[in-house]
Amino acid sequence: MSTVSVNTIDKNSGSTLTIGSAGTTVNIAGTAGTGFPADTDTVRPNAMPLVINGSMAVAQRATSATGLTSSGYNTVDRFKTNISGLGTWTETQESLTSGNAYTDGFSNALKIDCTTADASPAASDRLYWTYRFEGQDLQLLKKGTANAEKVTVSFWIKATKTGTNILELYDNDNSRDVSAAYTISTTNTWEHKVVSFPADTTGVLDDNNGSSLFIIWALGAGSNYTSGTLNTSWSNNVNANRYVGQVNHGDSTSNNVHITGVQMEVGEYTSSTIPPFQHESYGDNLMRCSRYFQLMARGLVGRGQTSTTCSVGGTFPNGQMRATPTITLNASGLASSIQTPGVDAYDISSLASSGGNSLGIFVKFNTDGSPAISTGAIMVTNGNDNPLLLMSAEL
Amino acid sequence: MITKVKKQLEDISNEVVSYEMILSDGTISSVPKDEANTDYQAIQQWVADGNTIEEAD
Repeated sequence: MSTVSVNTIDKNSGSTLTIGSAGTTVNIAGTAGTGFPADTDTVRPNAMPLVINGSMAVAQRATSATGLTSSGYNTVDRFKTNISGLGTWTETQESLTSGNAYTDGFSNALKIDCTTADASPAASDRLYWTYRFEGQDLQLLKKGTANAEKVTVSFWIKATKTGTNILELYDNDNSRDVSAAYTISTTNTWEHKVVSFPADTTGVLDDNNGSSLFIIWALGAGSNYTSGTLNTSWSNNVNANRYVGQVNHGDSTSNNVHITGVQMEVGEYTSSTIPPFQHESYGDNLMRCSRYFQLMARGLVGRGQTSTTCSVGGTFPNGQMRATPTITLNASGLASSIQTPGVDAYDISSLASSGGNSLGIFVKFNTDGSPAISTGAIMVTNGNDNPLLLMSAEL
Repeated sequence: MITKVKKQLEDISNEVVSYEMILSDGTISSVPKDEANTDYQAIQQWVADGNTIEEAD
């Protein structure tokens, strides 16, 4: 076998370069074709994926949540299921073992399963997923300037119900939005969608840690959001124009919706030119998710104050968080979670107060009083091996 | 959905440092008084909607 080293092989005419008598076609300068992938990695302005946990691999809170009727982060990190009056749902982090998304390299997905249907949503009802960006992470979009960039979102989706669906970008700093329709063609089959949005020369995103831009996957909506004309150009928010044509995935308890492989790219791409998904290690993915949510098992220290109260503090185990987190006790982690070393262990009953900043926290616990707390040093010891605190600084 | 909010005080200063927030699914959390915390923002909206924060015990 011989090797020919040249800097450039150019086509003579047309848009393809043919090698050999079999007529193999290769990509030239990022144009569509078969053979070698388009050389698009080198043009990405971002070093890391803009969307964190787009592979749905990290689910720190839980892998399943049932009876959902209101909005929240339930299973996979960074993806929020928003429910406003439209059905009851079970959400899971799904393990994939087959299908087109699995074949493309994704082993996990976010799935919602309708358990109580709502075939006739009220006017103000809505069901949707959101992914939320800090404004300081999207300054590269140059939104609100003459040099604003186009944006492309791609993802794998599978649903029981076929038909028109709406993907939206929502600028939370300036109350502006743009919507795009896509079609789920085949029931219960993974389909890859690539959706591009125009640049917006109006409305600069705040350069801070606040919630600036949302990707919204509409899944069902009442007439307040569907009665107008679909807003396919950036404009000030008009609810009636946001989800026009959206099918209702909540109209039957037979319905499921699954999503994975979410990526957002700067620029306009098609299904032929979209750069490959940037897979991260689980550890790297987890650390990026930890800016928004962490579990605390041990490491806080402090002292007993009364026979039933103690205060502890410390830094976050996985680094700085976006803001001072909301603290929730993990019910399965309360028993023997704090102790006076060499004296006794105590069961936590509730949170008396909390505070701190993005670097660390202090927490005051109430205990059940049996045994009475020693007024000496106290440490969180995670006596039952379950995380004690859920700490959320989500957007 | 928020169903109840109660003040939580710091021991020495006796000032509000956080809020006990109870959601409709029964979840009880301690929300810091931090303008960047989205739960704190939700409590402010809850108050703006006409609801009242309870005093500390």
